[in-house]
Amino acid sequence: MVTFMETVFYIFAIAAVVIGTFFSAVGVLGYFRLPDVYTRLHAAGMVSIFGVVLLLVAAAVRTPVSWGHALVLIFFLLAAGPPTAHAIGSAAKRINLPMKGARRDDLMKQPKAHNRKPY
Amino acid sequence: MEDLLLTTLYISLLIHVLLVCFAAWRLWNGENVIDRLMGSDMLSNLCLAVLVLAALIHRQKIYIDVALGLAAIGYITIITLAKYITDKRMF
Repeated sequence: MVTFMETVFYIFAIAAVVIGTFFSAVGVLGYFRLPDVYTRLHAAGMVSIFGVVLLLVAAAVRTPVSWGHALVLIFFLLAAGPPTAHAIGSAAKRINLPMKGARRDDLMKQPKAHNRKPY
Repeated sequence: MEDLLLTTLYISLLIHVLLVCFAAWRLWNGENVIDRLMGSDMLSNLCLAVLVLAALIHRQKIYIDVALGLAAIGYITIITLAKYITDKRMF
């Protein structure tokens, strides 16, 4: 006997898995095709935030898999995604990797603020 | 409904394994060091997705605990390597 709420949960889990797989595929495609490190960073962040988090939403909705562990991992991924992207982008800026196709670079006009140690 | 969810999960697992292969190939001939660092971050996230799919298929929560440990190790590794590349030293 399948109740109504179980059917709703199953449909929600299927939708979350399909959308998460789609975002992972789009992220890897962007990592292949985009021209620059700074633009590729968008794609690499999308695999972390949308792909894995939507799969974990499906794991939290589906009842026998414990939802507490999935919520802890969702919180950790949402907290760890932006510092990782910031660290990679800051490292790329500080070893002077070029931006392809950029008309001008605003951060290059301020060498003092660019070279100081932030911590 | 159970069979439909299992079919979706197996197709998603196949797609994720193919994505891991493509990302590893692209990571092997990346152009510079930041590119390879970012690719290793993305590869660890794809392995995380494979572990979560294994937890969903086998209905066991131990895979999600393993994924939590892998996520923590990957986060600290990426932050430390980015700082090492920037400053030529870690601390």
